[in-house]
Amino acid sequence: MIELLAITDDPAPTAAPVRIVPAGGLGLVVEPAPHGELDADALWRRESLLEELMRERAVLPVRLGTRLEDAAAAAEAIAPRRAELAAALERVRGAVELSVRAAAAGAPAGADGFAATAEAAHARLAAHARASARHEGPELLRAAYLVDRGDVDGFVVTVRDLQHEHPGLSLLCTGPWPPYSFTEGPAR
Amino acid sequence: MNGKVLAGPLDGDLDPFARPMPNLSNALSRRIDADPESVEQGLAQLVLTIVELLRQLMERQALRRIDGGGLTEEQVERLGATFMALDQRMEELREQFGLTAEDLNLDLGPLGRLL
Repeated sequence: MIELLAITDDPAPTAAPVRIVPAGGLGLVVEPAPHGELDADALWRRESLLEELMRERAVLPVRLGTRLEDAAAAAEAIAPRRAELAAALERVRGAVELSVRAAAAGAPAGADGFAATAEAAHARLAAHARASARHEGPELLRAAYLVDRGDVDGFVVTVRDLQHEHPGLSLLCTGPWPPYSFTEGPAR
Repeated sequence: MNGKVLAGPLDGDLDPFARPMPNLSNALSRRIDADPESVEQGLAQLVLTIVELLRQLMERQALRRIDGGGLTEEQVERLGATFMALDQRMEELREQFGLTAEDLNLDLGPLGRLL
C-alpha cells in the first residue's frame, strides 16, 4: 500500500525522502502508506516534505490519506486526468499559497461591522495574486492567495499596510504553503 | 505554526484566530476517553462524520451521472428523493447527539476541511 502525497510536473528523482514515480510525463510523489495514528507531527512532516519539493518543482498536493495499492495503480488512477493535472501544474508553477484571515480586533471572531472592510482588503490582496480562493470560517475573511514566489514580500507588505490602515481589524498572514487551495481549475 | 506567520496583528494577539486550532487537536486526539458520555458522543461524531462524507460523495457521484445523461426521468426523481431523505435523516441523527453540521466538518488546518 502506498500513499500518494503530491503530483509534480518533473519526474526526476529528488533528495527529499520520498519516491517520485514517472507517469506519463508527470511525477507521482509517493511513500509507503504510514502506519499508526495521524497526529499533528505527521501532518507537519508531510507539510515540510511538500515544501521541500515545491522549492525545486511545481507541486500539486493530493488530498490527505490518498492510498493506493502500488505505484502502477496510482499511475492508472491519474492517467485520465493527465491533461487537467498538467494544466493545474502550469497554473501554480513558481507560485506559493499565502493564507490571510481577518477578524475584528478585540471582539469575538465573526463580529459584525467590519465585513465591508474585510471585503475591501480581500479585493486589494487579490489584485496582488494570480488567483484567490475564499474559504468558509468563523472569521470575517479567510482566503488563500496564489502569489508568485518573487511577489511574496510585496504581498506581505500590503498585508501590513492594510493592518496599519485598519486597526479595527486583526490580520493574520501565514505561508508560504503548497498550493492546497489551487489544485483544481476555476469553477467548472 | 508560528514559523509560518508572515504578518500578524499589531498587538501580536493571535487569540481571534485561535479557534480552529483546538478544533484540529480535538479532531486528532479524539480517542477513547474515560468519561462514558463523551466517549459516546465522540464515537457518534466520528461515525456521523464518515457517514456524512460518504453521503456527500454519493451525492456528487449521482449528480455526475445525472449530468452525464443516461438516467431516466424517473430514476433522477428517485435519486433526488433518496438524497433528500438521507439529508433529513442525517440532520435528525445530528440533533440526537447534539452535533452541528460544523462539528462533522473536521478542520485539518492548512490541509483544508474534511467535508
